[in-house]
Amino acid sequence: MTSDEALMLEFQGGSRVAFEELFARYHDPLYGFFRRRLADPERAEDLAQETFLAVIRAASRYEPRALVRTYLYGIALRLLSAERRKQFNRIPMAELGPEPATGGAAETGLWVRQALDRLEALEREILMLREYEQLSYSEIADLLRIPVNTVRSRLFRSRLAMRSYLQSGARPNPGLPTMEATPAQPDEARNEHE
Amino acid sequence: MSTNRHPVEQDELMAYLDGELPTDRATTALAHLERCPECQALATDLRTVSRQLLVWEVDGPGGQIPAKISAALAQPRPETETANVNPPAARNKIMVWRWAWAAGFALLCLVVGLSFNRSRHPFSADLRQNAAVREPATSADKNALIESIPRQQSLGALSNFQLKEGSAGRLELSAKLQNPPPVKFQSPGPPGPMIVRTAGLTLTTNDFDRARAVLDDILRRHHGYVGELNVSTPADSGRSLSATLRVPADQLEAAIADLRKLGRVDSESQNGQEVTEQYVDLEARLANARNTEQRLTDLLRSRTGRLSDVLAVETEISRVRGEIERMEAERKSLATQVDFATINANVREDYKAQLEVVPVTTWGRLRNAAVEGYHSMVEGIVGVALFLFSWGPSLLLWAAILFFPARAVWRKIRRESAA
Repeated sequence: MTSDEALMLEFQGGSRVAFEELFARYHDPLYGFFRRRLADPERAEDLAQETFLAVIRAASRYEPRALVRTYLYGIALRLLSAERRKQFNRIPMAELGPEPATGGAAETGLWVRQALDRLEALEREILMLREYEQLSYSEIADLLRIPVNTVRSRLFRSRLAMRSYLQSGARPNPGLPTMEATPAQPDEARNEHE
Repeated sequence: MSTNRHPVEQDELMAYLDGELPTDRATTALAHLERCPECQALATDLRTVSRQLLVWEVDGPGGQIPAKISAALAQPRPETETANVNPPAARNKIMVWRWAWAAGFALLCLVVGLSFNRSRHPFSADLRQNAAVREPATSADKNALIESIPRQQSLGALSNFQLKEGSAGRLELSAKLQNPPPVKFQSPGPPGPMIVRTAGLTLTTNDFDRARAVLDDILRRHHGYVGELNVSTPADSGRSLSATLRVPADQLEAAIADLRKLGRVDSESQNGQEVTEQYVDLEARLANARNTEQRLTDLLRSRTGRLSDVLAVETEISRVRGEIERMEAERKSLATQVDFATINANVREDYKAQLEVVPVTTWGRLRNAAVEGYHSMVEGIVGVALFLFSWGPSLLLWAAILFFPARAVWRKIRRESAA
C-alpha cells in the first residue's frame, strides 16, 4: 500500500488519482473529527471538505517533514479554531443534537459526550485526539504545541476523570464490561506510587 | 518517593498500554503488570474507559469527491499561494522565516550604515566577514526530513501489523500480546533495483548572487533540500559555493538540467551504486530478529522456570530489540540514500565578475576621496576635542596661577615705559 506521504508527493506532482486515494482514506476520519466537536453535521461535512480544499491550495508548498495525517489534522484544528471563533460562544458538547450512533449505543454515546464535556478543554482535546483520531503522543504534542510529557500526564488525568465519571453514575452499554470500583482513586493511587 | 512495590508510574503503565513506552521500560512494565493486581485493575479500568469512549461512533458520509473539491482540482494550482492553514511544522517555519527576515533587515540597516565608511558591496562585505558560511537550518531540515522518511519507507511486517490494529487496538495491545496471533515476520523485499545515485557538477557563473537564489528555487521545485552548503569569498579571487544537495531520485535528471543553466559547465559526473543485495540482506536479518523477539516474548509469557531463567530471557529480548532498532535505523538510512540522490555542486564566480567589485571608475575614486576627506575632518575634530579634554584642565590651572603675576608684571612694564 502506498504511504500517505508518497501519495501527497504524487498529488503535488499533479496526480489526481493520488488525491482521490488520500480523500478516500481521510474524508471519513476528518468528518468524524469535526462531527464530534461541532453540533451541526452539515457544518462538519463542510469543514472536512474545506480541509481538503486547503490541502489542494497549499499542495505546492507541502514538504515531507511530517506525516500527512498530522498535516491534515493540523489543518483541521485550525479550521475548527476559526469556526469556534465565529460562533463566539463555545457550544457545550452536551448540547449536540441526537447522534446517529450505530446499534444500541446511542444512550452510552450521549453519556460519553456529557462526560467529555466535563473535562477541561485541553484534556478533552488530548483524550479525543488519542482515542478517536488515534494519534501518537508525539503527534498530539506537535499539533497542540505542548511537551510530550504534558500530553502523557494530561491524558492520564483525563482517563482517570472519565473513570470517575463512569463509576459515579454512568450507565454503560450492557454489552461492554462494567467498571468495578477499584480501591485506588486518582490522587490516592498516584500518591502510592510516590 | 518511589517504592519497590510499583517500579513504574501509573501514567507510564498507561503509556505502556498505548504502546508509547520505550522498550526497556515496557519490559519492566510488562513484568510488573503480570504480578501486580492493583496495576492490573488500573489497566483494566483504562481499557474499559477506552472501550466506552469508542461507543460514540460517527458514521462517515463516504461517497465520491464533492463537486466543490473536483472543481478546485480542475483549476490550475498557483506555485505559491498563501493558505490560511498550516501544519505545526509549517507554522514554526513561518516564525523562523519572520525572525530571519527581521534579522536580515536589521543586518541590512547595519551594513548600509557601515557602507558609508566602506567601498565594498554590502553583501560582499558580509560574505567576506564570513569566509565560509554554513547554513544551520539545512542540517535541521535534513534531520527533520530523514525523521519523516522512515514513516514513508517503513513497510516492514511489524509496522503493517501495528497499523492493522483497530481503533481500540492501542489499549488492547497488551491484552492481545497475552494471547498473540501467530505472527510470522517476513521480509517484503524491495520493489525493484535499489540504486544510490550520486552526481557531481562544477559550474562557473557570471552572476554569483543570482545563482544562489536560483539554487534555492531549483531545490524547492524538485522537493529537495540542502545537505551542506559553504560559501567562500577570498579577497583576491572569485567567490565559490560548494553544496551537497539532496533531491528525490526521480528528480535527479531534471534538477541537474536546471543546475546546468546556472552557468558554464566545467565538469559533470554521475555515479550509481546498487544496494539491492545489501537491502535484501538487511531485510532478511531484520525479519529473523523480529521472529526471534516474538519467540522470546512467547517464551517469557509462558515461562514456568526459575527467576534467573526469566531474567536471562528478558536480557536476550533487550539485546534482540537493540539489534532490531539498529538494523531499522540502517535500513531507513539506506532507503533515504536510495530515495534521495546526492548532487555535489560547485559554483564558482567568474574572475572578471570579481574585478568589477573594485572601484576603478572616476566616480568611485571621487567617492573614496570624499569619504577620506570626511574621515580627515572627523579625525581632526576628534583630535582637537581629545587635546582639549586631556590638556585643558592643566592649561586652565596654569593660566589661573600665572594670570595675576603676569598681569602685575605687564602693568609694571607699562608704567615704567610711560614714565
